Amino acid sequence: MENSDLSTSSSPSSFKHPGQIHNRLRKFKDQAARHIIAFGGISVIITIVLIFFYLLYVVLPMFIGADIHPVARYKTDSDAQTLYIAMEEQAEIAMQVTDDGNINFFNTHNGELVNKISLDLSGQDIKSIAASEVDQSLLALGLSNGHARVFKHEYKITFNGDTRVISPFISYPMGEESIELDDSQQVISKIAIQDGEDALVMAVATEDNRLLLVTFTKESSLLDDEVSYEREISELPYPESKINFLLLDKEQSLLYTANEEGHISVYDISDVSEPEIIQTLQASTASETITSFNFLAGDISLLIGTSGGDVSQWFPVRDATGKEKLTRIRSFQTSSGITKIAPEYYRKGFITASDNGEIGIYHTTANRTLLTSSVTDKKITQVAVSPRDNALLLQDEDNQFHFYSVDNEHPEISWSALWSKVWYESYPEADYVWQSSSASNDFEPKFSLVPITFGTIKAAFYAMLIAIPISIMGAIFTAHFMAPRMRSIVKPSIEIMEALPTVILGFLAGLWLAPVLEDNLPGIMTFLLFGPPAILLFAFAWQQLPQQIKLFVPEGWQAALLIPIILIIGYVSFSLSPVIEQTFFGNDIRSWLSNEMGIPFDQRNSLVVGLAMGFAVIPTIFSITEDAIFSVPKHLVNGSLALGATQWQTLVKVVLLTASPGIFSAVMIGFGRAVGETMIVLMATGNTPVMDFSIFQGMRTLSANIAVEIPESEVASTHYRVLFLAALVLFVFTFFFNTIAEVIRQRLRTKYSTL
Amino acid sequence: MNSNTTMTHGVNLDALGRKPQSRKLENETLCIETKDLNLFYGEKQALQNINLSIPEKRVSAFIGPSGCGKSTLLRCFNRMNDLVDTCRIEGEITIHNETILDRAVDVAELRRRVGMVFQKPNPFPKSIYENVAYGLRLQGMKKKRTLDEIVEKSLKSAALWNEVKDRLHDSALGLSGGQQQRLVIARAIAIEPEILLLDEPASALDPISTLKIEELINKLKDQYTIVIVTHNMQQAARVSDYTAFMYMGELIEFGDTDRVFTNPRKKQTEDYITGRYG
Repeated sequence: MENSDLSTSSSPSSFKHPGQIHNRLRKFKDQAARHIIAFGGISVIITIVLIFFYLLYVVLPMFIGADIHPVARYKTDSDAQTLYIAMEEQAEIAMQVTDDGNINFFNTHNGELVNKISLDLSGQDIKSIAASEVDQSLLALGLSNGHARVFKHEYKITFNGDTRVISPFISYPMGEESIELDDSQQVISKIAIQDGEDALVMAVATEDNRLLLVTFTKESSLLDDEVSYEREISELPYPESKINFLLLDKEQSLLYTANEEGHISVYDISDVSEPEIIQTLQASTASETITSFNFLAGDISLLIGTSGGDVSQWFPVRDATGKEKLTRIRSFQTSSGITKIAPEYYRKGFITASDNGEIGIYHTTANRTLLTSSVTDKKITQVAVSPRDNALLLQDEDNQFHFYSVDNEHPEISWSALWSKVWYESYPEADYVWQSSSASNDFEPKFSLVPITFGTIKAAFYAMLIAIPISIMGAIFTAHFMAPRMRSIVKPSIEIMEALPTVILGFLAGLWLAPVLEDNLPGIMTFLLFGPPAILLFAFAWQQLPQQIKLFVPEGWQAALLIPIILIIGYVSFSLSPVIEQTFFGNDIRSWLSNEMGIPFDQRNSLVVGLAMGFAVIPTIFSITEDAIFSVPKHLVNGSLALGATQWQTLVKVVLLTASPGIFSAVMIGFGRAVGETMIVLMATGNTPVMDFSIFQGMRTLSANIAVEIPESEVASTHYRVLFLAALVLFVFTFFFNTIAEVIRQRLRTKYSTL
Repeated sequence: MNSNTTMTHGVNLDALGRKPQSRKLENETLCIETKDLNLFYGEKQALQNINLSIPEKRVSAFIGPSGCGKSTLLRCFNRMNDLVDTCRIEGEITIHNETILDRAVDVAELRRRVGMVFQKPNPFPKSIYENVAYGLRLQGMKKKRTLDEIVEKSLKSAALWNEVKDRLHDSALGLSGGQQQRLVIARAIAIEPEILLLDEPASALDPISTLKIEELINKLKDQYTIVIVTHNMQQAARVSDYTAFMYMGELIEFGDTDRVFTNPRKKQTEDYITGRYG
């Protein structure tokens, strides 16, 4: 002191305190550390927010409705009445069939005629028209003399330099002449057609109220590719009043008729020689008439539009007796009478056209109205959707064409499609189903997130069921009772378990554990049932032993005695397994479970997942819990012991209480890990998205679902976005639980924190 | 020293409310006795041949430089050293002629009889009431009324009642350090121990709190045999009847406090008291 005072006074300006530089450096380090830490922390938060928003950015387009943009409006040269319009895949060329027997191909953007084919009808009138299933682009015209003309509209794409040239043409699969369908040469007032592998089937309703099923069985000659047809006609019972609509499904097994009183008759025609009516029902109210009668893509569902503006979806549902009954599934209400319904080509959506010039875009599975828009004030008479569902061609009663481009990428998704029970085609009832893709084009994707969210919770539940008791009790024992030397072996060993890659755990669980469990199920059950009591029994017996024997084992090492006990119980359980199986379960516990108890058994089930994922979660929970318990201040433990508490009392009343925030967060972190865990559930579950809490059934979790399906999903498709939604759900899920956990932990900590 | 004589002609001057001018250890009823006590932490010997008799219902203080083994010796009396894994004890300790070092002794029961207060206040993260009732609940006491009575009585004995009676169910962690230490004493006396071991009870406290604790010790010695470890010699002189001076794990001198401080028999004691080392 004295010294420094002296030197300061002697040279006040030049003197530099040796600590001054050090001080500055220290200050700099402090500042730098503060900024680096702040930067790191903020970066983490920003990253998480960015991930969240990126997920949201991918997911949101699914919830935006459809949009249409007018492209062109024109009239074509023809003023004959239009019977049918369609577009080719690029939506550049449209086809129009008129009642004077002309087929006009015109440019959709300006109405310019590209190709015109006049059918030679030899004086007959076209009385009806029918299109087959969309992929075949097959059309049949019913004529006034009991004949039909069958043709295909096709498009050849060539490239002239860089420009694509689409040349439309007509082909005649059954020959250019008209084909006789009705021997009595009556007017064909309604017609339906479907071409199949073995036969081409047409159904016709004649003017004199007969319903005929005409089957042309295909016979290909061995010499060339020529196909010859053998005709067979069977007559079906005609409904009570005039048939207005005829529909034949592409399987050629069901025929639907709708008559002018709103009755629908369903015919089973799978056996052509013995067709029969299987159901007749009333589909519209008395005041309304059916104005539109279509299949939804896939030819399973019927779409029935009425003059009252009601559109309903119907499909056959198997009832309790095993009979299929056409059932009204859901309906949509539009503002005015329906004139035409155009189903989308490969999706379960459809477009309605109304007599007040309004159109609507709907999706059946999602039960979603994507758009309603008034495009004209005239009645719309014809509507066609392009095969890619991205363009719309309408014709109003003034023969004016309206061409629209359509923006409707993700109609399949709605809140109800994701989270509610949905009645899918061919299902006996509404259900939660995840089935995102299949081989066929007209498949109905089932995007219910409920089964996979359920699977996530189920997997986490069984994992926690196994992990929590073992890890927490183990941690309690290790931290509180175990001799320090034993602890120094036990704790690192368990923590090393965490380093095991989960893919190895999953691999072992799926390929080794699952079959072992399956073969020794009674043994496992015996072990789980008798293991814990046996351990307790041994502990009790040990307590009763005379002091001299007990003294052999040093304090805190008694746990090691349990190792042989567990091994013995395990060995006995497993060797008794076949005996138990034979005596109690009729030699096969799996069939006993499924037959006697009605519990289906999967080899890769929740038990396997619970054990494997439990194994993966145990080190996490154990380690954090052990730390929490071990770091309970010694002075609290001593304070309790000094008051005459036993170790157990101290543990229960002081240690666990004080460690409770730590134990709680250990459990929550373990839970978070179990929820997000991917590899184990991917490999050890069957990945079947079932909604069953049974321990003997598998599941599919959100994370495994993403891992399985993202490689096969097309970027920016609905499927892709739904998988991102699953990721978002997972994110929100863990975020929610972690937040709750943190809040609870903080409250516990303020309550039980020590000095 | 190790005689078992009871007080035959001694006059209990405590009743007069002032410190007796002189006490004779020989005249006291003995409470804790140690015989050739050796204690090892692993290889290191922490206590060497301690032979000590602590009189009943008196305040005995252990003084000595840091690391001399006074706290270790104190902790032997309720076997808190059992919790130290490497600790090994030879010799004998008796309380009222019953040995306490045998493995068959119920340690929990021993600790109920021999209460202990630590250097650092260690209330449990519970309410004030629950802290005091803790020991009683351990004994299986459930009756609300009895609990209430004992809690009140203990807090009054610990001179804390007036300060906390309106907030018995608030967290004990909200009390000041001195209040916490008195709470811990209240907690210890709630289970009515025979002996109270105080391990530097005031060393973490401010002077006012220290004074209160010392007053409390004075008040409590009528009912309890108190052993206090302190390295504040003034405190030892103020509160204790008998003082033991320990050095390097050995008991150098034990006797009447006045005598030890005014007329130490050993040179080491004198050196320590006069501040030559420590």
